[in-house]
Amino acid sequence: MGSFKRKSQEFSNEGDIPPSKQLKQNELLGVDEPVTCLHDVSYPEGYVSSASTSGLPQQDSKPAKEFPFPLDPFQSEAIKCINNGESVMVSAHTSAGKTVVALYAIALSLKNNQRVVYTSPIKALSNQKYREFKEEFSDVGLMTGDVTIDPNASCLVMTTEIWRSMQYKGSEVTREVAWVIFDEVHYMRDRERGVVWEESIVMAPKNSNFVFLSATVPNAKEFADWVAKVHQQPCHIVYTDYRPTPLQHYIFPSGGDGLYLVVDDKGKFREDSFQKALNALVPANEGDKKRENSKWQKGLVVGKSGEDSDIFKMVKMIIQRQYDPVICFSFSKRECEFLAMQMAKMDLNNDDEKVNIETIFWSAMDMLSDDDKKLPQVSNMLPLLKRGIGVHHSGLLPILKEVIEILFQEGFIKCLFATETFSIGLNMPAKTVVFTNVRKFDGDKFRWLSSGEYIQMSGRAGRRGIDDRGICILMVDEKLEPSTAKFMLKGSADALNSAFHLSYNMLLNQIRSEDGHPENLLRNSFYQFQADRALPDYEKQAKILEEERNSIVIEEEDSLERYYNLLEQYKSLKRDVCGIVFSPKYCLPFLQPGRLVCVECTKVDVDIPIFSINEGVTWGVIVNFERVKGISEDDANKKPEDANYTVDVLTRCIVQKDEVGRKTIKIVRLKDAGEPAVVSLPLSQIDSLSSVRLVIPKDLLPSEVRENTLKKVSEVLNRFSKEGMPLLHPEDDMKVQSSSYKKASSRIEALESLFEEYEIAKSPLIKEKLKVLHKKKELTSKIKSIKRTLRTSTVLAFKYELKARKRALRRLGYIRDDVVLQKGKVASEISSADELTLTELMLNGTFRNIKVEDMVSLLSCFIWQEKLQDAQKPREELGLLFAQLQDTARQVAKVQLESKVQIDVENFVSSFRPDIMEAVYAWAKGSKFYEIMEMTPVFEGSLIRAIRRLEEVLQQLIQAAKSIGDIVLESKFEEAVTKIKRDIVFAASLYL
Amino acid sequence: MRGIRLSFSNTQKLRLEKALAQLESLSSKLNSNATVIVADKIPVDEDAALKGHGTLEMGNDVVASVCGVVERVNKLVYVRPLRARYKPEIGDIIVGRVIEVAPKRWRLEINFSQDAVLMLSSMNLPDGIQRRRTAVDELNMRSIFVENDVICAEVRGFQHDGSLHLQARSQKYGKLERGKLLKIPPYLVKRRKQHFHHLDQYGVDLIFGCNGLIWIGEHVDVKDAMVEDQVNKSDPQNTHSSSLPGSSEEPTDTPLERRQYICRIANAITVFSALGFMVNLDSVMETVTLSLSLNLGVHEMLEAEFHVLVAEQEAERRSTSTRRK
Repeated sequence: MGSFKRKSQEFSNEGDIPPSKQLKQNELLGVDEPVTCLHDVSYPEGYVSSASTSGLPQQDSKPAKEFPFPLDPFQSEAIKCINNGESVMVSAHTSAGKTVVALYAIALSLKNNQRVVYTSPIKALSNQKYREFKEEFSDVGLMTGDVTIDPNASCLVMTTEIWRSMQYKGSEVTREVAWVIFDEVHYMRDRERGVVWEESIVMAPKNSNFVFLSATVPNAKEFADWVAKVHQQPCHIVYTDYRPTPLQHYIFPSGGDGLYLVVDDKGKFREDSFQKALNALVPANEGDKKRENSKWQKGLVVGKSGEDSDIFKMVKMIIQRQYDPVICFSFSKRECEFLAMQMAKMDLNNDDEKVNIETIFWSAMDMLSDDDKKLPQVSNMLPLLKRGIGVHHSGLLPILKEVIEILFQEGFIKCLFATETFSIGLNMPAKTVVFTNVRKFDGDKFRWLSSGEYIQMSGRAGRRGIDDRGICILMVDEKLEPSTAKFMLKGSADALNSAFHLSYNMLLNQIRSEDGHPENLLRNSFYQFQADRALPDYEKQAKILEEERNSIVIEEEDSLERYYNLLEQYKSLKRDVCGIVFSPKYCLPFLQPGRLVCVECTKVDVDIPIFSINEGVTWGVIVNFERVKGISEDDANKKPEDANYTVDVLTRCIVQKDEVGRKTIKIVRLKDAGEPAVVSLPLSQIDSLSSVRLVIPKDLLPSEVRENTLKKVSEVLNRFSKEGMPLLHPEDDMKVQSSSYKKASSRIEALESLFEEYEIAKSPLIKEKLKVLHKKKELTSKIKSIKRTLRTSTVLAFKYELKARKRALRRLGYIRDDVVLQKGKVASEISSADELTLTELMLNGTFRNIKVEDMVSLLSCFIWQEKLQDAQKPREELGLLFAQLQDTARQVAKVQLESKVQIDVENFVSSFRPDIMEAVYAWAKGSKFYEIMEMTPVFEGSLIRAIRRLEEVLQQLIQAAKSIGDIVLESKFEEAVTKIKRDIVFAASLYL
Repeated sequence: MRGIRLSFSNTQKLRLEKALAQLESLSSKLNSNATVIVADKIPVDEDAALKGHGTLEMGNDVVASVCGVVERVNKLVYVRPLRARYKPEIGDIIVGRVIEVAPKRWRLEINFSQDAVLMLSSMNLPDGIQRRRTAVDELNMRSIFVENDVICAEVRGFQHDGSLHLQARSQKYGKLERGKLLKIPPYLVKRRKQHFHHLDQYGVDLIFGCNGLIWIGEHVDVKDAMVEDQVNKSDPQNTHSSSLPGSSEEPTDTPLERRQYICRIANAITVFSALGFMVNLDSVMETVTLSLSLNLGVHEMLEAEFHVLVAEQEAERRSTSTRRK
């Protein structure tokens, strides 16, 4: 990693602000100087910048586009970069006005007769942007999976996935595009889809420039460095955490009736009112506790009969104080609808507005068939909307969603209940944002909202030019620490981290193209870049340790080392022997109470090992032994020999209690100070057993008894001090007859005789010397392990997975010698479903002999991922097909596992869900939408999205069938497309 | 005798027959009974089978529509033709000759049943700038390629109207100059990861077009437009010397020695195709080395004796490689 030259400049209206102040990322709620931005440039390694970099003609001429309002500094900074023909990354809040930068880039490209591609993460957002750009510039086209409008236009709006596949196919657009605009580029951290951004950026045409629009990310610089490196061009960063309208943050404690200002518009956290708010929190009553399992309802439902729910009170208050319009965020679709239902008594609109709403609503619904107009979701929505209340979540029919967006923008909806999805995309601000919950369910557990999410959602508060400040209200229903709240409200934005992962489709597409190498893609990925970043740190660490090691000088190191090694060897042999002898099988019969036993002392310092042979052991007397109860039940079935045992030994100990009241017991030598105590020890801690047994008193509870017993032990020890304690002989007494024992014990004898030969052992300083040597050894091993991590990160991240995946592809017959075979060509066409399973299924002829409806229904299993609790089982013939799919999936997963791809076979198999098979079957049969909605308990919007994606897969399958040359199959897929592509499911977006 | 029109002496004939027989014995017997001719029935166990290229469904039977070998992948059945015209696949590297400069496109003869189309927008502009193609660009098309230019490109795919489109993704595609074009049966070129080869020791570029057109030419350094730009920027005096490819730079003559190498490689490939052997880099290089070690003149490589030698060498090579397996 070379160093990047950097230059930083500060731009501010009033100047004189120390740079560090703006650099602080977490200062984002209260930037003292509102209109500042941070500008930085990343240059690629070895880049020679010159004044005449841009040979572009528009340098001196008038700007490509002029805006009717004065630009914010960050906007004009970014536009300056674009004018110079250099890439720029703009990181700012949603409401700050990043679109201006995109608009300018488009205007510039159009002026220069160059193409420009605008990508966004979501189809709906693409539609909206298409409309926005179309009004501004006429030469605009749209390409999403659903619609294609004017693909020859100069400005193309598309989803990132489409852009990626265009690059793989080598569309001519890639040769004419001068600017690529990636909107919401922070989507790159999305676990599933983030990799698409990385692929697209790495493969982007070498001579084009980029505009990245992102929410505030603390590591924007890192991202820009990466782009600069991959594309060998400078990349500017314009960062601002400026909000056009400052925010005030309130807390609404559940059960209470008031708002408490916790963060004011200067960004100051008010501890005192935070405490007041928490005190006002009414503890959850009995009624709530019953509903504990349905957590989302908690605190939001009508508490007692006759009393208004919190959300009702809250909205009422907001309307009274004229804080409307308001967006209430909640974290599930059902909760969203439920809350809206609470508002039944409220009417926020006058009659004029109601008439308008009805007109807009029905003119939008006009394109639906009469049957679809009667859908419950449609008919239930209108009365709600007329009262000024709206719902917005992904479960809605797309058309309803769009109507609601339009109504909201027009100001007819005063109170909108929305999920997180509403927080990205088009500029749809409200005066107030309410968080109905501070906890969110993220797949497996409830967790606090992260500060990044909070920033994104609270970004909707405050309409620029209308409100002088935005209001955020947190509804809190349980105690939370001030620090948690502070972190949530004032924390920094989430970092942009790579979520790179490999897919077979990606590999096949890379291998397929002449100059594509999967290795190249990996090497250029943001993931690799971030991994490489950590390298200098490691190197430094290793260096420091090495210096430390070299500073340790020992005399006679060689002979000392030999002695050290010998000791180590001796110790390990000793351990082996102990392991054999003191396995329960041999020693259990000898663990009678009263037997003297030699045990290891508790080491004072773990780092310093004991170097002499007899050190660190002490004597005690066995009291009892017992079996350790394992956690698992099957322990009971184990043979007595295999179970774990502990021995209770009376010996001298130091008992200490720490603050928590936890006792720590240290075994010390008999002569040392300490109290006599009984400790349980694992068998491994026994050093040797003596043949001597003492008679011990039955009751050891009184301290004096124990003291006396220990005295007896010392006496015995003294008596035998000359000839040493008589020990139980492993072979003669304990009948240990294992060959490995014999081998080890003879080795020990040989070693013992060797000790005599070492002069050095007799040196008085031997212990200290050994300790120093030991330390040196430890340093060496630490250095080694750091160097190993260094090595593994310099080799490609994902290298092994890549190998494994290639192996899997070879075994399945998709590639041979890096040449993509027939099967591989099929799989490389499929990007919207599991490519391997679908390819195998297709080549096994499963689709060949089944009806089109069955086939569509089977394909739905590839699309549907939600797990439905009470989904009906598909009927037998469909079930049979599904079983076939599962078999195929299992085979595919097994081959992957054999190829050392990390995969959980059963998990993989169960990732295919049969839950909507029946509904899709009926849809393909020609049923009405309301009919299929009655068959499945899913949201309308989810089902529509699934069917749309199904069509996408079918289109890919048509291409795949073409490549194997089966005309019959191809026409079958085409027939399937015509069967499902109709009515409300494929109703055009209102934005088009 | 595989249609080789050469006068062999009797011993040569015997040696050649022996080598060929040896080769035949080495070829895998796996598919030997799977060869079909047109209208042959292809046995299909169930009707769940997928019928791929080269097959037709006639009533309940699946019949072959070309002569070749039946291949099966899972339930997919298709016929791999043994000797056929070139059939383009997406991503193939091909070499072709411009036959027409048409509006916004060039038409190329690529040894396929129809002419291929290379759109002006499907290749990088000489100045490397990313922009839409203008009328001026269209007028300047002849400064890029004219009729009879030899071009290397990649198959992009069939358009909706059934025409075959090509593209030139990077600088390494484009006009081929100062070299020799060779035409061999396309089935002798196997699709591989690499079709571009730079033979360092001879200073020669070798491109195996999947369509059976093979280019052997003097090595050209492919300059990435980006790098070139930067060189220009940092060194303003240099701007004039290294400018657009093929415009101001005077083509220096290819040295005789290199020309001989080009011919030698070309002849090696000719011999291979005459004998009906698959052409690949290793075997071609071996043949060139063989001719050099025998001190043969370039023209002598096309004589009967060398054909026999090559056949023997190939038989030897394959038998050792199978033995090693």
